[in-house]
Amino acid sequence: MNAIEVVHLRRIYRPKTGVFRQTVKEVLAVQDVSFEIGQGELFGLVGPNGAGKTTTIKMLTTLLIPTGGYALVHGYDVVKSANDVRKMIGFIFGGERGLYWRLSGIDNLKYFASLYHVDPSVSKTRIPYLLELVGLRDRGNERVEGYSRGMKQRLHVARTLLHDPQILFLDEPTIGLDPVGAREFRQVIRSLQSEKKTILLTTHYMFEADELCQRIGVINQGNMVALDTPANLKHHVADLSVIEVELFGANSNLVDTVRQLPFVDTVQLEDREQRQSMMVQTKLGAEAVPDLLHHLGDIKIGRVQVREPTLEDAYVRLVGGDGHAQAGD
Amino acid sequence: MLKQVIKYWRTMLKVADTTFRLQVMDTFILFGIVVQPMIIALLAMWMLQGKGANAAIFVVVGSGMTGLWSTLLFVGGNSINDERWEGTLESLIAVPTPLPLIIFGKNIANVVQSLLSMIVSYLFISLAFNYPLHLNSPLLFFISLVFTVFAFICFGLILSPIFLVSPGVQRFQNAMEFPVYILSGFLFPILMLPGWTTPLSYLLPTYWAAEALHGTSSGNATFEQILFYWAMLIIFSIIYLVGANLLFQKVLVKARKDASLSLE
Repeated sequence: MNAIEVVHLRRIYRPKTGVFRQTVKEVLAVQDVSFEIGQGELFGLVGPNGAGKTTTIKMLTTLLIPTGGYALVHGYDVVKSANDVRKMIGFIFGGERGLYWRLSGIDNLKYFASLYHVDPSVSKTRIPYLLELVGLRDRGNERVEGYSRGMKQRLHVARTLLHDPQILFLDEPTIGLDPVGAREFRQVIRSLQSEKKTILLTTHYMFEADELCQRIGVINQGNMVALDTPANLKHHVADLSVIEVELFGANSNLVDTVRQLPFVDTVQLEDREQRQSMMVQTKLGAEAVPDLLHHLGDIKIGRVQVREPTLEDAYVRLVGGDGHAQAGD
Repeated sequence: MLKQVIKYWRTMLKVADTTFRLQVMDTFILFGIVVQPMIIALLAMWMLQGKGANAAIFVVVGSGMTGLWSTLLFVGGNSINDERWEGTLESLIAVPTPLPLIIFGKNIANVVQSLLSMIVSYLFISLAFNYPLHLNSPLLFFISLVFTVFAFICFGLILSPIFLVSPGVQRFQNAMEFPVYILSGFLFPILMLPGWTTPLSYLLPTYWAAEALHGTSSGNATFEQILFYWAMLIIFSIIYLVGANLLFQKVLVKARKDASLSLE
């Protein structure tokens, strides 16, 4: 039996506006998503903002009712058997919220342990074990309001493991963490994986998905556009090379100019403080560099590099993500 | 079955304990449960000096009940929205403990805490300034108080689903405060109201609580009447408890359909 089975899942939001004459508009968050996750698998779900990742996770964690399709978690339907699903799962939504800041870390854990009906004799040993696991052993008695963002995220992990769930949903758990905090967090995820937990991880960081996940689903505009191992996803861009050009003073018009060139597959411009980084995917490889530089005109050019495509390049191609983006988008 | 009951009872007490701790750390709520009742008690006792023992105890019990109801309406009602703001509401929905049980635990903390603070305030002021307070039937009053606490908690429970399904309902909290004071006869008998309001009063457990507490404190009710008030309190508490449970089930499905559990 698969740990998670998602079949033609669909979700429409109907937000209301106005007070006296209310108008309802329909927002299609998830159009048609299907996938399966095996027992003990670490599965990644990636996609741009608003692609439908969090909505999918909220449906799987019983917090939202799907508009269409169905999903089974450990064989239980997420709508008809929501209570059975809840006993099997744990979840973390990215960000600092979701904890009682005026309580200590230990008091937060004791409270949630009680809500999950963890026997007090079990909590006595489990809470110190979990604090040790997430590296908060010495800070457990402090109020959560004094924790850093990374510490709060790690406390979230401890909270979600209190009842020892077999299936975990981690929605952008490393968002906003500093590089050291994010690396520590990935280590926690690895240790969970070694305990044979089934994990559904969503992330914006492709290197993170590449490093951790056995399979990755790429979701865009509410649809699953690709689903494969990281290595196979890279095959989508195996025929391409990436030319990375450091520029000073580039704008969106330049992106449009470069996109028109016959040898360019996709082009992406990222702002990095005083400079920009243009990434051009092309089948020609290094041969395309002189022509590309010629079309960049008088703009000041820094370092130019031709490299093999990464998972991020495959992702950009799959979600059609060429254009002008802020760093970190 | 017994194991299940013990499990739920333990969880409910833990919720009450945690709610209590959270409120003790909130200076705004702390003002409401420590300083404010003391000021009100001082003013009430000062004004009632020389008005007769029965009048004094009537007002003290009545004002105590208004305090209970306000706490339940504002602190209890806002607690759902507080959970939503803190991002913990989704975590509470996704635990195996039924949400009505969690809210029941929160209401225990709110009502008991408010009640204790008021009792301590009135006793302190009464002793400190030598204003006598006399309970006609202390034992019956105490039993009535226990039933009252239970009835208030159940009444609060039926209000919570409304806050759950619509964050905007907070705007109408003030409008919900006074009708219950008046219809329940906390501070004056409902006989002073137009006749058509009487059936509405009978539907409120707070009305039967007021009758039982006023009757046992002032000695104006017979034992049979008090037994009747207790029976009505228990019947209405159970009706509200069952009603709240059904309402929660409906509202939780609606909230999961409307995506109103979080602010995002």
